[in-house]
Amino acid sequence: MTHKKKDFLAVILAGVSALLLISPLAMTGTAQARNIKVGIIDCYSGPAAVYGNDALNGFKLALEEINKQGVLGGKIEYTTRDTKFKVDIALNMAKELVMREEVDLLVGTINSAAALAVSKTIAKEQKIPFIVWISKDEKITGAEGHRYVFSTADNTAMGGTAGGVGLSKKPYKKYWIAGDDYAYGHAIADAAWRNLKALKPDVEKIGESWWKVGEPDLVPYLTSIMGAKPDAVIFCTGGASMTNTLKALKTTGMAAKIPSWIHTAIDHAVLKPLAAEGPEGVTGTIQYLFYYPETPENKAFVDSFQKAYGTPPGFPAFNAYLTAHFIAEAFKKAGKIDKEKFIDALEGLKVKNPVGGMVEMRACDHQAVYPMYFGTTKKVPQYDFVIATDITTLKGDEVLPTCDEITKSRGK
Amino acid sequence: MDAGHTITFAVIASHFLVGISRAMILFVVSSGLSFVLGVLRVPNVAHGSLYMLGAFVAHTIATYFGGGSVAFWFALIASPFVVALIGLVAERALFCHLYEREHLMLLLFTFALMLIFGDLVKIFWGADYRSLMAPDLLRGAVTIFSSPIPRYNLFLLIAGPIIAVALYLFSNNTLIGKIARAAAVDREMVGAIGINVSWVFAFAFVLGCFLAGLGGALVSPTVSVTLGMDHDIIIETFLIVTIGGLGNMWGAMVGSLIFGITQSFGVLFLPQFAIVFPYIAVVLVLMWRPRGILKSVW
Repeated sequence: MTHKKKDFLAVILAGVSALLLISPLAMTGTAQARNIKVGIIDCYSGPAAVYGNDALNGFKLALEEINKQGVLGGKIEYTTRDTKFKVDIALNMAKELVMREEVDLLVGTINSAAALAVSKTIAKEQKIPFIVWISKDEKITGAEGHRYVFSTADNTAMGGTAGGVGLSKKPYKKYWIAGDDYAYGHAIADAAWRNLKALKPDVEKIGESWWKVGEPDLVPYLTSIMGAKPDAVIFCTGGASMTNTLKALKTTGMAAKIPSWIHTAIDHAVLKPLAAEGPEGVTGTIQYLFYYPETPENKAFVDSFQKAYGTPPGFPAFNAYLTAHFIAEAFKKAGKIDKEKFIDALEGLKVKNPVGGMVEMRACDHQAVYPMYFGTTKKVPQYDFVIATDITTLKGDEVLPTCDEITKSRGK
Repeated sequence: MDAGHTITFAVIASHFLVGISRAMILFVVSSGLSFVLGVLRVPNVAHGSLYMLGAFVAHTIATYFGGGSVAFWFALIASPFVVALIGLVAERALFCHLYEREHLMLLLFTFALMLIFGDLVKIFWGADYRSLMAPDLLRGAVTIFSSPIPRYNLFLLIAGPIIAVALYLFSNNTLIGKIARAAAVDREMVGAIGINVSWVFAFAFVLGCFLAGLGGALVSPTVSVTLGMDHDIIIETFLIVTIGGLGNMWGAMVGSLIFGITQSFGVLFLPQFAIVFPYIAVVLVLMWRPRGILKSVW
């Protein structure tokens, strides 16, 4: 072999070696500029689809704003899977999103049991960040919370505390508790009663009734409750069952006779279909109302949402909008697409609340902290359906369990 | 018994009335299922979807005509016919080719149809909750036996027996009704005497769809019209026709009354566990009469 040939080979080898050395760096550089992939598992069929769709719209609206500027040189993209309100399907979909779609984080879902299952078996075990945006079981960020799970949804502890605080200011003593016979119904009942009893020890529970989720005929239940003559009733229901409950409250005349409190009863998704037939005098709690507070920020948020989807945003849209901004800001703060760094960045992070002010992702339990509104349904001339009036605002730290309580609950 | 209650005759009587009114809706839907089961021997799981369609169509018609009392009555009458028409198309296009298949295959086929109907309803109407208002005359409650009973429930108490008698007269006093009943007992013989069994089957299926649609339209002022209402009703109606006697119209009535009344009394006596009462009743009836209370045509 001549010198020239040897030199030529040496140059080639050096070039290849240099390329091999450089390529991982080049690949890393490319990875930094890639899009952030979010996997959404939520319910898009059955009665719960109305909430799944609302959340998705809130998320999409936020991404339109975020992606104009981009995050870490790329965009946030998402892919959805329908859980059909089933735990097993939610788990399979979450696994598929992580393993096949290689998402950077998961978000969802409306079903508390599914959220808890995904949190435990996917997020915790496979170390995938999971942000819950509708499920309300307080265990998600409470007793069963961990490093990889976050929540932008209100939970039963918050709803129950808000209800308990609101009801403790009323003169009622004898209560009846009734609701959907599933995890959420019982969790909200327990939280509301626990808080009410703590604030006003002389209240008395005179009975309970539980019906299956979606029960079409609530008249026998309400007739029975009216017969027991409680001072007030705590209803623990949601979604389509909520509309059924509100209809039955109106048709039996119970709404006019016995006061009742139902967490999320002032949600326009359930009041709007009832139009003028919605019952007046029902008190409820919620974290978002499109007509309150009347701030320029909320008005702008509602206008953008209404323009894009033809309907005002509900609380799932509010939660999902916050979720998108938490994701974007946390990745920006982390400086790279890294799951552990993302979590570190998200803890204690504050983002703009679409109604004004800031919302903090509390570091100790990964729960978003925002105010809850306590109001009573009433007909008003501005709307053709009943809305919440006499609204009291309860601050986020008033309705959340303390960090000490969270630590204690996780230590059990 | 719960501490909050004082059980008096008036309380029992009012719960009895409320239970029967619920039973009337269940009867209308389950009589349609029973008819299809009896004549066609098809375990139509998609029957609940037709009930859901009845509610959605009624809501659309009532809204289109302004949502007043006249619109409600028109929707109540027109909606079952629309559902019957959809049923006719489904029967001629799909079902008529499958009657000879095994029950398991028919069960799977109708299950698939239920999923398809569910998705079509979502595509066409969306996922929002809807509510149909009862006409002014039937809104509010009247006090009977010292308890408020919604006027609409009283209307159901009248409408249910009228529909039952109309069905009875139809199946006993009209030629097509008699042929359908005969086909339920012995379809080969009906075919052997020269009757076009295919159209008898089509008629029976369409009648079943009509009743499902009527049930959906009737229930819509009392519940939220939403996706998933098909799942709720189908289990109850299958249990009702099973305990009443498969294919027996009066069996559907007896089964519905058992279901509605046990649920209502369950709420009165043990409200925490009221859900299980109708199902306990089903178990007891089937232990006593495994083929149903009245004569099954199967």
